[in-house]
Amino acid sequence: MAIIRVDALRKIYAQANTSAKVMAIDNLTFDIEEHEITSIVGQTGCGKSTFLNILMGLEKPTSGRLIVDGVAPYEDFNSLRGKMGIVFQQDRLLPWRRAIDNAKIGLEVLAYPPEEQIKRATEWLSKLGLANFLNAYPSELSGGMRQRVALARALCIDPKIILLDEAFGHLDEVTARKLRKDFLELVYSTKKTAVFVTHQLDEAIEIGDRIIVFGKPAKVLAEIRVDPSIKEDQSKIQKMRQEIQQILDRN
Amino acid sequence: MSKPSEEEWSKTESLASRTWSRIKIGKEAIISLIIFGVAWQIVSFFTPSYIVPGWQVIFGKMLTLQPNQIYVTVGRVILSLVVSFALGVLGAVIMYLSKKLENYISPLVKLIMAVPVICWILFAVLWFSAVEFRIFFILVIVCCPVFLIDILDALKGVPKDLRDMILSFRPTKTQYIRKLLLPAIVPAVLTSWKINLSLAIRVVTIAELVGAVSGIGFALNIAQANFSVAEVFAWTIVLIIILLAAQVPVSWVESKALRWRI
Repeated sequence: MAIIRVDALRKIYAQANTSAKVMAIDNLTFDIEEHEITSIVGQTGCGKSTFLNILMGLEKPTSGRLIVDGVAPYEDFNSLRGKMGIVFQQDRLLPWRRAIDNAKIGLEVLAYPPEEQIKRATEWLSKLGLANFLNAYPSELSGGMRQRVALARALCIDPKIILLDEAFGHLDEVTARKLRKDFLELVYSTKKTAVFVTHQLDEAIEIGDRIIVFGKPAKVLAEIRVDPSIKEDQSKIQKMRQEIQQILDRN
Repeated sequence: MSKPSEEEWSKTESLASRTWSRIKIGKEAIISLIIFGVAWQIVSFFTPSYIVPGWQVIFGKMLTLQPNQIYVTVGRVILSLVVSFALGVLGAVIMYLSKKLENYISPLVKLIMAVPVICWILFAVLWFSAVEFRIFFILVIVCCPVFLIDILDALKGVPKDLRDMILSFRPTKTQYIRKLLLPAIVPAVLTSWKINLSLAIRVVTIAELVGAVSGIGFALNIAQANFSVAEVFAWTIVLIIILLAAQVPVSWVESKALRWRI
């Protein structure tokens, strides 16, 4: 059953100083099934982040329909309270809050009892290897650790859907690989629906059950299902990578 | 009452040391102050005491100053700053929430800030016969716009990234303000308090000098009329001490609220 339905979605921005209009999303249509991990790939600036913002309900689409778990995220903003979590490209931690307080901010907003907030935040941070850094301020943590706190912050509220916006893109490869592995384990064990936006094809293949290739402006160029067996086979990964690259190049 | 644990003691100590580190005077500053003090004393040997009195004369005079005048001035500054801050926060929040209101209020604030302080003092003397209200008006009209502009700028300066992050959890308006906006503007608020403390003490002195019958400014006026240079210097030292002492609680709050910056 589709938990996210995107139907003829368009987003056009008017430039601030001129009357020129810029199309960020052009007639986007696809579905995402429950418990599915979908990678969205496309060139930098193709409207992937705009799509995620619309998906989160932070921006209004110009036309078309987007339904998440039965409701429109922008119009029924509060209906999706606690149902979606997002990990951004930058960690976006609040610098005045310690790691544990950053991790539990979503739980505070959702008014969980204080002891439950601490319990859950501690659990998630510990699962992500930060048990010894609960009371550290963001300025005392490395980039990878900060991103783990951001991941814990999104997972703490136990959302049905988790969105990742190039979440591991600015980390070094070793840290990024470790985090991707941790993330996949957590998503599979908790049976969440995940939308993973990236411009790195290898990352998209490694994570996704399905890959949606975006053109520029954002429209679906291809939908590719990833057979789990190919994830261990470098030659098959390479072949799929080339296939996606060709689609992007043609666009 | 239970004794504080070792950990609590060390926390208290580290807080005290952070507060001190923010206000302490460096070695170079102490040396330059000593050089200044010695030079002043040497000059005082060769000039009449009604031009450059020696330190012993100035400190002797300090012992005879009326403390009531200090309490009056400090009371006026504190009351006016608290009211200015409350009005500044209110104005900033209103302007932040409504662009339309900001467009109306902003030119007025700029106009108020463009009027020289001495003009406000003269207006107050001409408009209001009640001395206390006169001083209160001058301080509020000078300090409130500074709070307002600083806080409005800080509110506008909260990064969109952080705003989107908190909005992704779909907070209520109160949660949005309490969990993001208020903590985010704390550094700007503290800086604004520091600026306004110094501004208010300078302004209140001039206001009392021109339009009051009590307070340090008034006492300075009397000292000047009596040609008591030593008393003028004694009051000046008192004003400097008040200003430095006023920074201590702000620095303490700063070291407590902004420890994440260290």
